[in-house]
Amino acid sequence: MKIPLEGVERAITKLWEEEATKSSAPRLELMTVVALVSDARLLDRAKKAVNDLVCAQAARTIVAVSLPGGEAEITAEAALHRRSPDSPARGDAIVLEATGAGREWLPENVDRLALPDLPVCIWWVGDLPDHDDLFDRLLGIADIVVVNSCEMDLRDLEKLDGLVSRSRDRFALSDLTWIRLRPLQELIARFFDDEAATACLSSLSRVHVTFTPRENEQDAASTQAGLLFGWIVHVLGLPTDPAGVRWHRESTWSEASLGGIVFRFDREDRPEVPCGSLLGVHFECESARFAIERQKDDPDAFRWSREVPGVAAPPQTFRVAIHDESTLLIRCLERPKHDRLLEASLRAGSRAVRPVAPRLSSRPGAG
Amino acid sequence: MVNPFRAGLETERACLPAVFVIFGASGDLTRRKLIPALYNLALSRLLPTGMSIVGFALPEMTDEQFRASMREGVAQFSRRKPIDEVVWEDFASRLHYVSGKFEDPANFARLREALEQLDRKNGTRGNRIYYLAIPPSVFPVVNDNLSKAGLVADPEDGNRYTRIIVEKPFGRDLATAQALNADLHRVFAEEQIFRIDHYLGKETVQNIVALRFGNAIFEPLWNRNHIDHLQITVAEDIGVEGRGKFYEEAGAMRDIVQNHLLQLLMVTAMEPPVSFTADEVRDEKVKVLRALRPIVGPDIAKLTVRGQYGPGNMAGHAVAGYRQEPNVSPESNMDTFVAMQLEVDNWRFAGVPIFVRAGKRLARRVTEISIHFKHVPHAVLAPPSMSLSPTFQADLRVEDASRVDPDVLAIRIQPDEGIGLRFVAKVPGPSMTLRPVTMDFRYGSVFGGSGPEAYERLILDALFGDPTLFARADEVSAAWRFITPILQGWAKEPPEKFPNYAAGTWGPRRAFDLIEAGGRAWRRL
Repeated sequence: MKIPLEGVERAITKLWEEEATKSSAPRLELMTVVALVSDARLLDRAKKAVNDLVCAQAARTIVAVSLPGGEAEITAEAALHRRSPDSPARGDAIVLEATGAGREWLPENVDRLALPDLPVCIWWVGDLPDHDDLFDRLLGIADIVVVNSCEMDLRDLEKLDGLVSRSRDRFALSDLTWIRLRPLQELIARFFDDEAATACLSSLSRVHVTFTPRENEQDAASTQAGLLFGWIVHVLGLPTDPAGVRWHRESTWSEASLGGIVFRFDREDRPEVPCGSLLGVHFECESARFAIERQKDDPDAFRWSREVPGVAAPPQTFRVAIHDESTLLIRCLERPKHDRLLEASLRAGSRAVRPVAPRLSSRPGAG
Repeated sequence: MVNPFRAGLETERACLPAVFVIFGASGDLTRRKLIPALYNLALSRLLPTGMSIVGFALPEMTDEQFRASMREGVAQFSRRKPIDEVVWEDFASRLHYVSGKFEDPANFARLREALEQLDRKNGTRGNRIYYLAIPPSVFPVVNDNLSKAGLVADPEDGNRYTRIIVEKPFGRDLATAQALNADLHRVFAEEQIFRIDHYLGKETVQNIVALRFGNAIFEPLWNRNHIDHLQITVAEDIGVEGRGKFYEEAGAMRDIVQNHLLQLLMVTAMEPPVSFTADEVRDEKVKVLRALRPIVGPDIAKLTVRGQYGPGNMAGHAVAGYRQEPNVSPESNMDTFVAMQLEVDNWRFAGVPIFVRAGKRLARRVTEISIHFKHVPHAVLAPPSMSLSPTFQADLRVEDASRVDPDVLAIRIQPDEGIGLRFVAKVPGPSMTLRPVTMDFRYGSVFGGSGPEAYERLILDALFGDPTLFARADEVSAAWRFITPILQGWAKEPPEKFPNYAAGTWGPRRAFDLIEAGGRAWRRL
């Protein structure tokens, strides 16, 4: 039921009082999570994700959606999150619907409804526009900003890097696609856990990344592949100035050459795997080979193998579940903090892909 | 050479690959706890590359039979179900079995051969972790044979490591504990020994340290100036569950108090360590045990209570008394309940009584530490100090300080893990009526889901070589040094009347008298 904005706190208090008569669930909240929904079609998805999140981490959630047209107004709905209709309450669920110019009023009203003295997480649901005044104003109250770069183009890595620069440490940027990448980074790091393998890095000549592209995507790599690229470039300290990065593109693959290492990005359609995901990563050194490969018959499983002279290491299979958006959001907010590795990888990745994925505004002739 | 790809990742360190050898692999602990914990670590991608697990026990079994038996254990006892076939297949391929008597050195030669073969195949490079899931009486022969077979690396050897994990009981009194430690030290250096007390692997026990030393508001109050007394309860609602033979040798004092309960006391009462490194933490813990005022002579009867459950009911079902349990003597005088009043003689806690109780077949399963703060020093809310209307004054319910319920901070270890603070608040209305209210933090409500099992955390720490959450030799000795005189005193004076509490109650009447003599009461749990 829609209620006026000024009635939200009262309605929430009343719901908790009613809850106290039914269950002993304490009212405990760790943060306010604001999901900004720019497209009404994403509303249900956002509501589901924040409900799942609150089942794992008690929080107040505000899902804010703006609808074009209509009278300038914001209306609200207030409820409590639950795992199931009969389970105890877990947190406050607020939905704000702004119509017409009411969209402009969302930041101050979100601020007013945020829980006092607790972190505020702003999650932009969907593709992040190049310039959005509403988003920019909400950054002012954010402690954590969550995006999902898999819904963006490769060129948007530069936009996210810009966001980090603008944050000046006032908020931490988190990316659900980066969260998805973390287990694969662990598997890659596992290649080099002994000295013999680490020594091979000095002769690294080729890194081969296979990914599944988004529909109709023409980018040289998916954003996840771009983030991986940025991470490796950052870890190895490779040069990313435009003069030092040479790209070669074909219809199904691209190659970048920097610091004497060739990075090849291959597209491969795998309908059972989410778009943009990685399918395999191979490192080739002078006398050593390292590989992780997503299994054909089980897309959640990766085969890990390496051949290093003088070092025995049997191949292993690891479960790397393809988490849905809700799980990624939970993982992302488990230990919210400034992720310097993401920031450095974004910086390196956005610079290294700039020759093949320039920002629209900087394209020659762009208005 | 440092692995540059680890920098900034959640697992910044990697543990070296090793062969994990379980002595007593056909037993219940292996099937219920150890293999499910190792499997869950594999599922979380936390086991090092190439790690193998070798079971060593008497029954004849092939690798395949051992794997099948362990699979049943995982299916039944793993916290994550159902079994992940892909991960299990990979995990099972690294499970091996060696059968034979521990007394026969030839079996250790075979074990060595098997381990060296695994080294060559999996790159485990001579690194070993031995888990003794066997009775302490067998430790010496296993240690000797490991040593003779060349299966123990020098602790100074930079190329390979050997660690040994030992399960409680660490002896049955001071003399046997010291003998056990001496025996372990014949073969292993102290830094190679990991004495496991699964209580320390519990998230909530670790959270006591976080609560005390991660918050600035509690520590200034954590002393004799503000604390009236402490209570620690480790209550189980189950009986001896088929372990009558073991329990007849142990009792509640040895099974629970000497280890779990004293561990809780140590983390509650210890001074802030300089850093959270293994020896700094363990140094502070052992100081608490050293400061415990010995209970000897007539104090044993005055400050300790022992009990044994008789028949009763649990949740409306009749249950047998201890003496009716299988493998228990019908005249047994073994304690299934202990309550004690302790004092820690140090600057922080001098004069603060610490009441502890532990037992089986108590009314509820609950482990809790509660810090009971002192009464307010002055009844500021009493009528003379307030300029209120006569009507209002007549309604005042608080007339002196001792009638205001003191504040209590309760740390719940299990179940419903969390922290609660009880304080008083004014009941809405014209009268100044105060009522105790609680603020509750519950892990499940805030963080949801279940964290790793204690064994997962502890095995992982052993793989990393981090002994912070394991008991050190001097800690074990100090605990026994305190407990042994009480056990000896009890042995001299058999209990007057056992059983002395009915199953399903909170223990014998004397346990209540112990605390009530000082005008205090056990918390209702």
